[in-house]
Amino acid sequence: MKQCLADVRSAVTEIRDENFMTLVQSCLEQGATPLEIIEEGLARGLDAVGAKFEEGEYFLADLIIAGDMVTRATDSLKEKMAPGLTGKKGKVVLATVQGDVHDIGKKVVGIMLAASGYEIVDLGVDVPASRIVDAVKRTGAGMVGLSVLLTTMVYGIKEVIAGLGEAGIRDKVKIAIGGACCSEHLASEMGADAFGESAIAAVRVFDGFSGAQGPPR
Amino acid sequence: MEDMSPVERVLRTFEGKPVDRVPVFCAMMESRTANEVLGAPLISSSASLNFPVTRFLLNSLGPVITGHFIRPILAGILHRRNLAQIEMGFDAVWAYYDDTWFFLDAKTIALTTGSIYNVIEDGHGNMSYMYRGPGITTPEEFDAWRWWPDADAIAQRVYRYYKKLYARYGERACIFGCGFYGGLQESMNWSFGIDKAPLWIRRHPDYVNRFLDIVEEVTTKTQAAILDAGAKVVVQMDDFAYKTGPFLSPKMIEDIFGERYRRIIRRVHDRGAKFVLHSCGDNTKLFDLFLDWGVDGFHAYEPTSNVNIVHEKKVHGDRATIIGGVGIDYLLTERSKDEEIVEKVKELVRELAPGGRFILGPAHSEDSLPAHKLRVMLNAAREFGKYPVVP
Repeated sequence: MKQCLADVRSAVTEIRDENFMTLVQSCLEQGATPLEIIEEGLARGLDAVGAKFEEGEYFLADLIIAGDMVTRATDSLKEKMAPGLTGKKGKVVLATVQGDVHDIGKKVVGIMLAASGYEIVDLGVDVPASRIVDAVKRTGAGMVGLSVLLTTMVYGIKEVIAGLGEAGIRDKVKIAIGGACCSEHLASEMGADAFGESAIAAVRVFDGFSGAQGPPR
Repeated sequence: MEDMSPVERVLRTFEGKPVDRVPVFCAMMESRTANEVLGAPLISSSASLNFPVTRFLLNSLGPVITGHFIRPILAGILHRRNLAQIEMGFDAVWAYYDDTWFFLDAKTIALTTGSIYNVIEDGHGNMSYMYRGPGITTPEEFDAWRWWPDADAIAQRVYRYYKKLYARYGERACIFGCGFYGGLQESMNWSFGIDKAPLWIRRHPDYVNRFLDIVEEVTTKTQAAILDAGAKVVVQMDDFAYKTGPFLSPKMIEDIFGERYRRIIRRVHDRGAKFVLHSCGDNTKLFDLFLDWGVDGFHAYEPTSNVNIVHEKKVHGDRATIIGGVGIDYLLTERSKDEEIVEKVKELVRELAPGGRFILGPAHSEDSLPAHKLRVMLNAAREFGKYPVVP
């Protein structure tokens, strides 16, 4: 591995954001391709951050700062890449269900998934089931992440699942849920495919879904 | 042991002294629950806000008429909620009166500390609100923010609210007073955005300190007002954690907030009162720190997070009062069966009551908590929570 890629990786791992973009630019100038920087530098750095988070060494705030570093670098590198090379792990539609406007956890999940190679279609908060179904059909996404914090809004999950069923595409789409009131039990009760307890767990969950084809567009 | 008054029962519990039974706590009560207890008002708060004239006035003069017309109405609604808590017969009730907010327009509430909320309807005809996002996204916006709170004026209004409350109900329950909705970290997260706050800490520490100076002043002065009005316990909410752990590392929390909280809590202790911290999520890694700051009691221990309330009682129950234990995610909803609540109460009493320093109650407040479920919890705690409890 080029030394500059190792430098990018360790900057992410150690969450050193000062002069980080200069480091990424310098790596490009030394001949690394944007894809190499993303895969060997940024993504592996973020993997290490995720591991430290799970070991209890890093906290949510560290994920946010590392995610911000990786997002800024990825956005800048994407401009230099051929179309089709980004988001190659698949498309994920993310939304907070109708009636709930909590956004933060979903945003962090979006950052971590995007940094891990997913293409994210974030529909925002308080999203009706019909809009989520439309987005899946329009984008051909094979994965959906639903966020819900409020206990009273959990039935929004069921509505999305029912909507995908009525549209005849439930079997083409994998659905994960997350948020304060969610659990494995709730995922099973609502008919979702998985539950992600944290942003790092969410990456693992969606990695497990990889290969979900999504409906034809 | 003689029957005790609710206030005596609660205060003795904080001191770790023997009491006749486990005290029962009511978290902040929302309008739906209060209406179930007292009967719904003739005109709902949501309908009142939807009158065309009200909407017009809020859209054109929101910040001005908030102070003159809306706050007194809200004070009446909050007082009514407190009355419902007291009428139900709880030993300890969490009251709050926050005067740092105003209507920006008919659909938007802002806190003077810089965060923005949607005005919503709670599904039962009552006005409620939900966080929309930060009001301050750059240092330039911080410098331009023109709504910073006037802590002295706010404290005076908080005093008037609580003076009336303690005069009317101070003997009937131990009223935990709260005069400012957000704590230091939570206010920072709301005003800068939770996904941006860590970046502010790293890139603009001077602004973070200026912000915390403002919030500390409001906290200190409103708590002093509540104590002047007769409080024996103040409660401060500050969500330091989320489902799986703290938002910031314990070291950062100590570095940024430690000395400020020590000052805040010392002032409460100097007045002979107790300080309760409500912090949602899994605070397992933070309880030692909170105790070092001087916190007397902790509320939340949400069952939906990874915190283990039984473990915490074993580890910290000799120094801190544990408050909560009954989940609002299922047990205190319409979905549960009454006997499940009773079983949970029995379990909590069995596990947490020995040794004292335990106050049973809901893990959180919620717009839609049915009063009859709270009543099942309350009655079960009275029946099965009598000391001596056999572990």
